[in-house]
Amino acid sequence: MPPHVHPEGTTLRDPSKLFYQLDFNRRLIIASYWVVIIAAIPLWWHFTSIERLSLPTSQVHSQAANQLRFPVQIQLENIQDASLPASLQQLLDDRIQRSPQAWKGLDVRVRNQNDANKPGDLFTVTANDNIPLASQRDLMYPIRPGTLSMLADALSILLVPPTDTHRVAQYSPRYRLAFTLLNEDAAAGKSISGWDISGAISRHLSPILNGLSVLHNFTIESQVQFHAPLAFSPLSLPDGYGITPEDLTVFVNSAEWSLSSSVSNDPVLHFVIFIPSASRRPLQILDSRGSPSPSSAFLLPQWGGIIIYNPPPEQESHAPLPQSALNSIFSTFATQLLALLGVPNLPPDVQTDAPVLTGWQLDALLRRRALENAEGAQDTLKSIVKLVDQIENMPVGQDVKGDVQDSLTALDQMYAYSSTSLNSTLHQSADALTLASRAFFNPGMLALLYFPAEHKYAVYTPLFASAMIPMIATAVREIRAWRKQRREAASAAAQ
Amino acid sequence: MHKSRFLWALCLPAACLSQSFSGETFDEELAIRALPDGKVASRFEFSTLLHGASPRNPRNLSSEDDSQHYTLFPLALGQVLRRYAVTELHLTLNAGKWNYDRWGYPDEPDVATGASMWTWMAEGSPIPRHSVDARWRDLRNALAGLFCASLASLDEQRTTSPVLAFVPQGALPAWPQTEPHALRHASLPSEHVCTENLTPFLKLLPCKSRAGLARLLNPHRLLDADWHGMGLHVSWLPEEGVRVRLTFQSVTDPLRAGNTRDWSLSSLFDRKIETACPVAASSRVVVTLPTDESYSIRPEPSFVGQGRGIFDLASQPLPLDVGLHWPTAFQYTTLPTAQSPLSVRRTLHGSSQDHSTLAVSIKNAGPAVVRVAYLETLPWIVHLYLHTLELSVDGVSRADVLHDLSYTAPIPHGRAAALEAVLDLPPNSTVSLRLGVGRAFLQYGEHPPDAQRGWELPGAVVVVLPEHPGNDSQRRIYTSALLVDPATPDFSMPYNVIIFSCSLVAFIFGSVFNGLTRRFVVIAAGPRAE
Repeated sequence: MPPHVHPEGTTLRDPSKLFYQLDFNRRLIIASYWVVIIAAIPLWWHFTSIERLSLPTSQVHSQAANQLRFPVQIQLENIQDASLPASLQQLLDDRIQRSPQAWKGLDVRVRNQNDANKPGDLFTVTANDNIPLASQRDLMYPIRPGTLSMLADALSILLVPPTDTHRVAQYSPRYRLAFTLLNEDAAAGKSISGWDISGAISRHLSPILNGLSVLHNFTIESQVQFHAPLAFSPLSLPDGYGITPEDLTVFVNSAEWSLSSSVSNDPVLHFVIFIPSASRRPLQILDSRGSPSPSSAFLLPQWGGIIIYNPPPEQESHAPLPQSALNSIFSTFATQLLALLGVPNLPPDVQTDAPVLTGWQLDALLRRRALENAEGAQDTLKSIVKLVDQIENMPVGQDVKGDVQDSLTALDQMYAYSSTSLNSTLHQSADALTLASRAFFNPGMLALLYFPAEHKYAVYTPLFASAMIPMIATAVREIRAWRKQRREAASAAAQ
Repeated sequence: MHKSRFLWALCLPAACLSQSFSGETFDEELAIRALPDGKVASRFEFSTLLHGASPRNPRNLSSEDDSQHYTLFPLALGQVLRRYAVTELHLTLNAGKWNYDRWGYPDEPDVATGASMWTWMAEGSPIPRHSVDARWRDLRNALAGLFCASLASLDEQRTTSPVLAFVPQGALPAWPQTEPHALRHASLPSEHVCTENLTPFLKLLPCKSRAGLARLLNPHRLLDADWHGMGLHVSWLPEEGVRVRLTFQSVTDPLRAGNTRDWSLSSLFDRKIETACPVAASSRVVVTLPTDESYSIRPEPSFVGQGRGIFDLASQPLPLDVGLHWPTAFQYTTLPTAQSPLSVRRTLHGSSQDHSTLAVSIKNAGPAVVRVAYLETLPWIVHLYLHTLELSVDGVSRADVLHDLSYTAPIPHGRAAALEAVLDLPPNSTVSLRLGVGRAFLQYGEHPPDAQRGWELPGAVVVVLPEHPGNDSQRRIYTSALLVDPATPDFSMPYNVIIFSCSLVAFIFGSVFNGLTRRFVVIAAGPRAE
């Protein structure tokens, strides 16, 4: 076949013989482009992928199925009838069966005299003929076949006291107790200018705080304010002013009263003495029928306690809070503090000689807090796993994974301690809950939530679509040409 | 003997901060003076003294602090001070530029535009989160929350530690085994002062804004003033205790309403003092009386002396509405006489986006040589070329006025630059200082909101150094802030930019790729059809 001939007859070089027009070189060029792209894919993948470490899902689920159990042993002392332990056990079992939710996590066993030492906290009930008396972990009770049912009732209140969960503040290893003396309007005269707060705290609250030191640490702060207006106007009564139950719900005027600063994240329990303005005395709390109630104190669930104090009319201008008023106010604060922290009451017929708390009350509180924390930690861990499963764009970093694992470890240790040490169980459960919450609220998990895949494609398409189309078209054309060449070569060989 | 006194000082704060109301006093004062240009400067000062208290030693930060019981002292502030072991703290939020030439020196020296903060803190235990820098960061965040101000933006990129300009106003305790105190200073000129800052400020006062002098702090009038600023100053006075001063200064223009200089509390603040704050140990209104003109003041001051009329709220009938009246009309003087012997001008020249010149001229109108420290703190986006430093006196180049120069170089994306120069200002002459300034190229995320507006550079500070060392009275002159506009991308249409640039890249790529892979053939066109 003759070379291409110029119309005017001059001979040209065949373009297909040029270096870069050689089939092999052209294919090499195309292939090199593809090699670069394919080699870059892992790099691109690495730089655009979200770090999602795998969470110990199966461990979380198996841990969540676990149930914290506290063995409790009751020893009857000084009894004549040997069959009494068995009957008491029977009575307690009946009560457990009737309300299993209340007795959750508790294995109660009434010991026979000859039982060997088994694990668990030992409580002793001693028979006597006086009034029932609870001391540390002992209870004096008249044990006769006839009073056995009453004893079982008393024991159930001591072991699993009924609580108002809405009122009790959520568990925290540290609380801040903020005491505030609020004068509604000191400029109106006859205000309270100060108080002996340190003395009142050491007299009324320090024993309680020391008694509860295994559960919580406390930071105490106090302030006096001289202008703390109410957000509503109290009802005018013939002999003073009154606050209706509806007004009590909006009594705290958080916009105007700077009750607490945000210097730490510990939960705050507020204790407020409110001194009405001299022009609005006496200020009383009304009951639902509109008549003044004898109490001047009320409790805001999980928030704190408030006492309205009306200074006597004969009080001079700007005097400190009188000692007698301070004592009665702080004993009310002490009761409110116990209620807010969920400290259980003793059964109504049982007296105590313990200064603050009996071992029965403290142990019941420890058990309940540990159970709450354990459940909270398990729920939080389950939620994290579920959330991470649901949202595929959510990054899971090493800190989240580490917190989840540490929380699981704390739960494991909590189970290990549950039959030996109540204090350690509580501490481990609190650690587990803190770690689980920290993992759940890790700010790193939110980073890419609002950067969806569509967004990425919108950014990539203008570049990649217009660059990839000629590359794919050339590759297809070249592969076709190569196959055609092969076919032609084969048919040429066959001929 | 000294040892035992130190130990005594160590255990003192606990005992004193936990003691109740006997150890706190609250004083308030309002000082009003007419300025030469007819405006009226007023300064509120609310001072709470915690008797016998002393700052917390940062060595004890790991151990439990004692309970804090306060009666008059603001608890929210006390907690912050104890938590971060702050010895001395100064925070000011000012709006506008204090005009030294017309108004003279302000009563409170800290009048930097925007937010400005400086503290003295001791280096604590080796725990990293107890270091000065960590506590400085946390303190900023805490105060940002307390005052609703963008103090968190006063980050490492704006923090400097100049040596001469900010000497402690109180004393610094010398704790054994503790590193000496360190200064941290930062300012943010673009912070706007507003009602949202005034409200938390008022909440720190024992009587809020409901009684006493604080009743006059009417946001509608104060924020309308020609210049206004609030300040928080905490210092430790070893003989007395920890003192917190809350100040509010404003410059109001009575001439704006009518052609008269007459002012009264109700015309300045639209309020009168109706009730006294019952817990204030002293509450006074101090009026500086005119010296060379006839005037009448109403009501009669409780006490007149040293050219000042003093109204004591305890002895004055309430409501109190102090007013000053001039019988003669105010004459505008065309050439205001300079009220301060020093006058500072600072400008940034140059039209390009990468290079400009900083020109400062300091005029000394006085008859004597004045030694000053010139402090320039700049965020890293501008950097100074020190080799271009030129100094001239009245246009004649002179290097001998520069006494001392220290420069902390900026770290890009990290640390601010600080230039501190000690200058001897010759009498009746103007010293000018010129420096080349380079501007950095910012990353996408480093631009502030409203990036096209540019960055505000904090004002320079000129400090008149006392002639005798040990004399603590420092006079500071703040210059106005400067605006610098670094190269700014078009943030308005990211998708359009992406699509345009991608199309261009794709076009170039396609051309090159096609040129490399196209098959060339020669086609015989054949004889032309005729």
